[in-house]
Amino acid sequence: MIALLIPVLMPIAVGVLLMVFPPRRKVMLAIVFAALALSLGLAVAVALQPEDTLRLTLGTVAEGLTFYFQVDAVGKLFSVLVAFVWLLAGLAAFEYMSHEHDEPRFYGFYLIVGGVLAALCYAGNLFTFYVFFELMTLTSAPLVMHELTHEAIMAGLKYLFYSVGGAFLSLFGLFLFTAQGTELTFTAGGVLDGATASGVTLLAVFLMILGFGTKAGMFPMHGWLPTAHPVAPAPASAVLSGVITKAGVLGILRTVYYIAGPELIRGTWVQYLWIVLTLITVFMGSMLAYRENVLKKRLAYSTVSQVSYVLFGLSLLQPVAFVGALLHVVFHSLVKNGLFLSAGAIICKTGKTRVDELKGIGKEMPVVLWCFTLAGVTLVGIPPTSAFVSKWYLATGALATGIPVVSWLGPVVLLVSALLTAGYLLTVSIAGFLPGSDYDYAALEKHEPTWQMLVPIVALTALAVLLGVWPGGLTALLTGVASSVL
Amino acid sequence: MSPYFILVPILVPILAGVLLMTFPIQDYKTRAAAVETVVILNTILVFVLLLNRPAERLYLFSFVEGMPLTLNIDGMATFFGGLVAFLWPLATLYAFEYMRHEERVNTFLSFYTITYGVTLGVAFAGNIVTMYLFYEALTMVTLPLVIHTMTEEAQAATRKYLNYMIGGTAFAFIGIVFYSLFCTNIEFVLGGNLDVANLGEYANIALLVYVLAFFGFGVKAAVFPFHGWLPSASVAPTPVTALLHAVAVVKSGVFAIMRLTYFCFGADFLKGTWAQTVVVIAAMVTIVYASTLGVRENHFKRRLAYSTVSNLSYILLGVTMMSPAGLVAGLCHMFVHAIMKISGFFCAGAVMHQTNKNYVYELDGLGFAMPATFTALLISGLSLTGIPLFAGFVSKWSIVQALLEQPSIMGYVGVFVLLYSALMTGIYMLSINVRGWFSGGAAAKEANARFHDPSWLMLLPLAIFSVITVALGLNAQALLAFVQSIAAGTF
Repeated sequence: MIALLIPVLMPIAVGVLLMVFPPRRKVMLAIVFAALALSLGLAVAVALQPEDTLRLTLGTVAEGLTFYFQVDAVGKLFSVLVAFVWLLAGLAAFEYMSHEHDEPRFYGFYLIVGGVLAALCYAGNLFTFYVFFELMTLTSAPLVMHELTHEAIMAGLKYLFYSVGGAFLSLFGLFLFTAQGTELTFTAGGVLDGATASGVTLLAVFLMILGFGTKAGMFPMHGWLPTAHPVAPAPASAVLSGVITKAGVLGILRTVYYIAGPELIRGTWVQYLWIVLTLITVFMGSMLAYRENVLKKRLAYSTVSQVSYVLFGLSLLQPVAFVGALLHVVFHSLVKNGLFLSAGAIICKTGKTRVDELKGIGKEMPVVLWCFTLAGVTLVGIPPTSAFVSKWYLATGALATGIPVVSWLGPVVLLVSALLTAGYLLTVSIAGFLPGSDYDYAALEKHEPTWQMLVPIVALTALAVLLGVWPGGLTALLTGVASSVL
Repeated sequence: MSPYFILVPILVPILAGVLLMTFPIQDYKTRAAAVETVVILNTILVFVLLLNRPAERLYLFSFVEGMPLTLNIDGMATFFGGLVAFLWPLATLYAFEYMRHEERVNTFLSFYTITYGVTLGVAFAGNIVTMYLFYEALTMVTLPLVIHTMTEEAQAATRKYLNYMIGGTAFAFIGIVFYSLFCTNIEFVLGGNLDVANLGEYANIALLVYVLAFFGFGVKAAVFPFHGWLPSASVAPTPVTALLHAVAVVKSGVFAIMRLTYFCFGADFLKGTWAQTVVVIAAMVTIVYASTLGVRENHFKRRLAYSTVSNLSYILLGVTMMSPAGLVAGLCHMFVHAIMKISGFFCAGAVMHQTNKNYVYELDGLGFAMPATFTALLISGLSLTGIPLFAGFVSKWSIVQALLEQPSIMGYVGVFVLLYSALMTGIYMLSINVRGWFSGGAAAKEANARFHDPSWLMLLPLAIFSVITVALGLNAQALLAFVQSIAAGTF
């Protein structure tokens, strides 16, 4: 079905046109909004089609390198999530970016990355996935470098080199498996023959996990993330942190569950090392976030930690933990975008970037800080918010694996990390709402942003909280996926 | 077609070059028209010849008994000759504009044109003696091109160039002499002509001879530790660095090694021997070493030269797998690298020509002043890095397929060497592009506003190369099928 390309090409074409022929600002914003809304519409339309109609072979570069798209439940979920978050963060950008330079370039690349991500979600084999994974890195780098300061350029280069290096690690798997004669179409349960798996095959799988894990900020390849995410303009940080890191998750998910097959690595050094790396990342990220004073950097460290919750869930190769992991993909995406957009609103309206400057910010921007607080509560995992549900699944999944030490150490690390999360997020809220007796109420000014920023922040926060109360539909969908791959 | 026709495209440029030297043309336009006409005519001749290949080889005469001069057009000759003939007119076009304000342009263009004929001689040589002859001649006719600016730096570089080349050909000569003793018939034949049955105890000597000749011809192919001349030689005018030091001269070295390996000694004889281990390791060391130095190098053209050094060894890494798949990979990367590297050098040259900037750190914000040039540079850079959708990925892919054909430690290490080098390439090429488009901010943009893209003479070749790079990246099946038929000997 060639129509599958529309959600990919439409935003890319609009993005390129915007950069080549930049229109007046109002027209541009209208076009961007229309394109983003249309993307969401298209993503939903694709998601509503039955899976067996969503196949597209596009052509062959050389033997073994075929462009092939197929949309399964995971692809549908990710694509709708991406388009939805893209629309809201884009809307928030309208106000945030009004003070910035080079807006056409920002929106241009913003739309292009959106299209590339749609292709990434729809990719049906490893080669196609790899192509769009690389393109995602290249097209999102301009968002990181947008400010054009020396710091931003250096961060952009760091982002580029880490990502390209990581992608090359994963490339080894593509090379090796193709040379072994395996057709690498994504198939639930994997396509590699577990019986003939040699040490090199396992090494390749591990390198793919590590390589795609670079995008997900997994230790020891996380170094770029706290540098690159905060230097971007806030709406870009939001999607980089909330969505693009999930592309790394998707890469690992496809590798382990759709190419290698969970049985191939179960009980091997690959699985154990992977679990250890994710737990280290979870703890380290929270710890660093707790010690960080710059708000956006703190949120970036938080991303390092939270995305590895997801990876921890995936690494257990256990159905309940799998459901928890994918739930956390959705919830963290919503929460982190909400948090970054709130931080963006604060920076945009008050120019304050450091946590210790935020005393009393709740008096100036009550709605924003309320949303920040609720999103924070969600991320800590306090019931009945959504992340409680995902963490519950993760913890019960871990306990059910029966892997020595990990089955209890995993939940303990998650709990400690949750405490730290409360420490680094809720303290901001406390100081913001309760500035203390020495706060000068006379000088208080309201800084609340306009609806363009408030609508996305409120919507993301509301959704993040409410999905915890009614997670049923999503959980049922993911349980179905889990039973197909495990 | 008569075999004597093979001589024509070799001699026409040589004669034309000599004529231009004897009767210099002073007017820029007349000279350009005359040279371009000759070059294009010759290219047409080459393609006519390649499409109507003579059935038998052309025997000219013998130096001594058993050392005949012969010309022959087989699949390999078609491939290399066709590549050279395709690139030459485009590079000449570029040279007119680039050399417009230089001195002694007549001399320059004379030697430039003569080199065309000599390179075709290397391509069409029917045996290793003939190839050696043209190979030596290639060194001599390119010397005046390297020294052209006559600066002290250029003189030093030329001296270095000469020393390396003479040293290399000495080794190659030893190889040829011994080979002529060991072979049944000196002509090139796919699979080799080595008299393996009668070698007996001399088998190890034969391997040693192969290794010596490999490094001898490897000087032109810039194999570590004989690569030093190439980065220094980038003081030459850009048309020379681009066409000769990314394609004609260095690819002649690689081509000679392919002939030596697959058409003289024979891949089957070499496979699995210590000689193979030595040359594979040499190729890997070169790749790692050169791509690392490329990152450190700040001079734009020298950085590209290091990139050439490492990419030539990509080709050799494929070739030294001693298998048909290896030859396919080598040929594929030979073509792809020629296209993308000449494009990269032309971009560097365009920048030097328009702005007099030679160093990477001077490029801040130039992208907006010279958008066409920097777009071509971006395409070339992404392709060199091996990003899919660009040609470089496909040829790297085929190298890796050759490496992994059979499970072996050497193959796996080779893949990691390539991946490491790809990352280094990403660093040294992408950082140039980031500088061009993002660094410096508004101040750099303003400072560069007076610069602009070069004229169509320079842009046309760039556009053609960029289109080919992308087209091959999207579909390379025709190219691969072609080189597969060459490697199988069916073409």
